[in-house]
Amino acid sequence: MSTNSQRLLARVALPAAAALILIPGSVRAQATTAAKSSQSTTSSSPREERWLHVRVIASDAKGETVRVNVPLELAERVLPAVNHDRLHQGKVKINSAQIDDVDLRALVDAIRTSKDGEYVTVQGSDNDVRVAKQSNHLIIHVVDKAGSKKSQVEVKVPMKVIDALLSAGKDELDLVAALHALGSQGDMELVSVKDSENTVKVWLDSKNVSD
Amino acid sequence: MVLLAKAALVMGGTLALAGAYTFREGVIRVDVDEYRAGGAHVHVWAPAAAVPMTIHFVPKHHLRDAAEHAREFLPLSHALIRELKKFPDADLVEVVDGPQHLQIRTHAGKLQIDVEQPDENVHVLVPLSTVDDVIEQLEANSPGA
Repeated sequence: MSTNSQRLLARVALPAAAALILIPGSVRAQATTAAKSSQSTTSSSPREERWLHVRVIASDAKGETVRVNVPLELAERVLPAVNHDRLHQGKVKINSAQIDDVDLRALVDAIRTSKDGEYVTVQGSDNDVRVAKQSNHLIIHVVDKAGSKKSQVEVKVPMKVIDALLSAGKDELDLVAALHALGSQGDMELVSVKDSENTVKVWLDSKNVSD
Repeated sequence: MVLLAKAALVMGGTLALAGAYTFREGVIRVDVDEYRAGGAHVHVWAPAAAVPMTIHFVPKHHLRDAAEHAREFLPLSHALIRELKKFPDADLVEVVDGPQHLQIRTHAGKLQIDVEQPDENVHVLVPLSTVDDVIEQLEANSPGA
């Protein structure tokens, strides 16, 4: 091999060696990025994860907006790690003194086995309240006519979720079980609050972004 | 000359390998820009892999203090980061209040926090695995561990 060839080889060898070391990493990084970007560009995630969305929009001139998107599975797994005040191991203690006179389970059992219909309808000068069961969902509708905010609240909860919520002890609500039950539900709006100051919406779907 | 070329090749290869190893977990990026007279402009890019290594050089009593302060939040943070790694990119939190904008999202295995205000912008990008490593180190150094 001539001296010129050896020099050329030495010059080429260094960048080639560096490229060989770096290319697999960059190719893998690109492949990962491509896979992730294809994953993120779709609004619906591939494993059909269920996402809980919260959106609050203020009605004032500034129009403050808060959007929170949480995978249900993540909430389900992280919640047991929170131990604060009445929340322990994914279960929240409720004040037994307040529900001593009411057997919540018996009440829910009664609602579950009953036919669809309106159970409570109150039409007053201050409030309108409606509690109904419809297609295995408990629906609570409250209109506050007297307050300055003139709020309108609508809550729709699947009966399965209520069952799961009450599946813990007498004076406990099992939030993790409720989230798990919620995960098996289809896309739905859970809570809607509208008043003169804010619009709040809590809903469930398979998208990893807010609409 | 050939000997020199060989030495350069070994040295270059070693440097490239060390560089690739150092940056294998990505980069931590912190950008702070204050838009006022005398405002600070801080831009830090650091290899994420260096953070767990650096923690080993932090005096134990400092780590214990930090772990003590964060003790209440360590299990939650650990569980949260561990689970976030499993999920696709997501816009987790977004707050828009007039000219102020806060966004917390995960993107390509990194936690991205962006705060934009008229007088200040803060952008933080940190690999989730690095946050996990730091939490693990703090947990290992917490009292009673």
